Amino acid sequence: MARDLWKHLVLIIGAIIVLAPFYMMVSYSFKSPGEIDRGEGGFFGRQELMVDERCVKLRDPNRDEIAAVAAQYPGKTDRQIREEIMAVAETECSMRPVVFNYSKAFVEAPLLRYLLNGIIVTVSIFAIQVLVALPAAYALAKLKFWGRDAVFGLVLFCLLIPVHAIALPLYIMLAKLGLTNTYAALVVPWTISVFGIFLMRQFFMTVPDDLIDAARMDGMSEFAIVWRVMLPTAVPALLAFAIFSIVAHWNDYFWPRIVVTGSRDLFTPPLGLREFKGDADGSFFGPMMATATIIVTPLIVAFLIAQRRFIEGITLSGMK
Amino acid sequence: MGVVEIDPSVTPARERNRQARTAWGLTAPALALMFLILLVPVVIAALLSFTNYSLGNSGFEWVGTKNYDRLFTRSTYEKMFIATFTYVVTVVPISVALGLGAALLVNALGRIGDIYKTIYFLPVMATLLAMAIVWEFMLHPTIGMVNQTFELACGTVLERIPFFANGCAEGFPLWLGDRDYAIWVICFIGIWQGFGFNMVLYLAGLTSVHRELYHAAEMDGAKSAWERFRLVTWPALGPTTVFVVTISCIRAFQVFDTVEAFWPQGGGPNKSTYVMMFAIFEKGVQQNLIGIGSAITMLFLIFVMFLTLIQRWLVERKVHY
Repeated sequence: MARDLWKHLVLIIGAIIVLAPFYMMVSYSFKSPGEIDRGEGGFFGRQELMVDERCVKLRDPNRDEIAAVAAQYPGKTDRQIREEIMAVAETECSMRPVVFNYSKAFVEAPLLRYLLNGIIVTVSIFAIQVLVALPAAYALAKLKFWGRDAVFGLVLFCLLIPVHAIALPLYIMLAKLGLTNTYAALVVPWTISVFGIFLMRQFFMTVPDDLIDAARMDGMSEFAIVWRVMLPTAVPALLAFAIFSIVAHWNDYFWPRIVVTGSRDLFTPPLGLREFKGDADGSFFGPMMATATIIVTPLIVAFLIAQRRFIEGITLSGMK
Repeated sequence: MGVVEIDPSVTPARERNRQARTAWGLTAPALALMFLILLVPVVIAALLSFTNYSLGNSGFEWVGTKNYDRLFTRSTYEKMFIATFTYVVTVVPISVALGLGAALLVNALGRIGDIYKTIYFLPVMATLLAMAIVWEFMLHPTIGMVNQTFELACGTVLERIPFFANGCAEGFPLWLGDRDYAIWVICFIGIWQGFGFNMVLYLAGLTSVHRELYHAAEMDGAKSAWERFRLVTWPALGPTTVFVVTISCIRAFQVFDTVEAFWPQGGGPNKSTYVMMFAIFEKGVQQNLIGIGSAITMLFLIFVMFLTLIQRWLVERKVHY
C-alpha cells in the first residue's frame, strides 16, 4: 500500500486538474452574480435571497396601468400605488441564486428547444446511419457478388476522409440546394458512416453462415434476413456504435456552426450556449454556467451509469 | 422442419445471379451516399481550389494555382501553418505520453484505479464547447480560478520560480489575451480533453500483454520496473501506440471549438491560434472566399490521408518495435 502512495498522489493531482473546470461550472451555476465576482461562497454559495432586477423592472407599472388598478387602492396617490406594486414585485422577484440561474437558463433562451433539437438530430443521424450501413455491411460480409472487393476497397478509402475536413464543399452543395438552415443540413452529411459499415461488416463476419442458411430455408428474403436475423445478433455492436455516434453528434459544434445561422429554432445545444455567451453581460455567468451544466449532464450521467459500455463505444475506433 | 424440396430451376448460376442482384440492392444506398457525401465533395473542393468562386456569383474564373501560391506566400497562412503544427506537435506527444502514464498507473492500482479512469474520461464525454467557455472563465485574468490559485503562491517559497516571481510582481498572464500564451492555452485544453481517451486505449492494450512475458523478462535479468517496461510493455503496446498517435494527430488537426469560442473573430491575438479548421471556416464560410477555403481544405485532406496511410502501412507490417 505504501508503495502505491506516490501513484495515488500523482493520479490525485491529475484528477484535481481534470475536475477543476467541472467543479467550477457546477459551483458557479449555484452562485449569485456577487458571489461569482468576489469569488466567495464555497461550492454551493450562501443561497441568500437575491432580487432579479430585470424581473422587477418588467413589473414597473406605467401611468395607464396605475390608473387601471387605482380602484383597488382607495385614497392613495399614484406614487404610493406604484411603490406598493414595486414592493410586491420585489418580494415576488426575489429567489435563491440556484433557482435564478437555472430558471434564467430556460427563460432567457429557448434551451428546451435546443435540447429537443439535439435529440432530434442525434437520433435521426443514428437511425439513418444504421438503416444505410446495416444492409451494406451484411452484403459485404455474407453475400458473394462480383465487385464486392471493389466496394469494400471504396469503404476503406472513404475511411480516410473525415467529414469535418470536407465541410466547405458540403456546405456549398447544401447552399446550392437551398438546404442550409434546415434539419436536413444538420443530418445529411452524417447519414453515411463508413466506419459503421466497416464495423458491422467485421461483426457480421463472425456470425455463423448456418444461421443465415436456416433463415433462407425458411423462405426469408435477404432483406428480411438483415432486419430479422442479423439486426438482433448485432445488438451489442450496435449499442457501442450508438454511443459512439450520439456522443460525437451531441457534442459537435463545428458542423452546426456552419450550416445553421440566425434561426434559433434549429440551434443544437452547443450553438445555443455559444449564442448565450455572445449576449451575456457580466451578471449572466450564473445562468450561462447553468446552461453549460444542463448540456453536459445527460451524457456524463449516462456515462457514469454505463461506464464500460461507454468506454467501449467511444474507443470503438480502436478496434480496427 | 420437413424435407426441403429443392426447386430444380434454382441452378447455382441463377442463385449466384440472384444473390448478386440483392447484394447490389443492399449496398446501393450506402454506395450512393458515399459518392455524394464523401467523394463528390473532395472532387468539388479540388476543382474549386483552382477558381475564384464565391457563393452567389453566377460564374467563376480559373485562376490556376493562385490560391495555393497565396497559401505559401502570405504571412497570414504562414501563421496558420505555424499555429496548426505547434498545436499538433505539442498536443500529440504530450497527450499520448500522459495517456500511457495514466494507463500504467491506473493498471498498477487494480480496482481502486478505476475511479481515476472514470475521472480522466469525463472530459472526453463533455461537450468541448461548453468546457471551453468554462475554461475561458477559469482563465479570466482577475477573477479566474487559475490566477487566483497562482496568487496563493505569492509570499511562499514558490516565488523563487521566475514565473511566480514575475506574476506576483507584475500580475499573472492574461492567458487568452496574450499572444505568447494563447496557443499554449489551446494546447493545454486539447491535452486536458484528449489524454483520457488515449489512456483508455492504452488500458485496452495493456490487457493483452501476457503475464508470462514479465516473468520471462525477470528471468533474463530485467529487474527494475523501467527495464520491464522497456523490454516487455512498450514493445507489446506497439500497435496501440501507432493507433493512438494517428488518431491523436487527426483529432489535433481538427481543433476548432476552443479557438472559435475564445476568439470568434480573427483567430486569437496576432493570429497566434489561427488553426486550419478555423481558417477554412473563416475564409470559406464567413468571408465566402471559396477558392482559398478549398485550397486549405485540400491541404488538410492531404495531411490527414497521409497520416492514416502511414498508420495502415505500419499496422500491416505488424509493428513491434
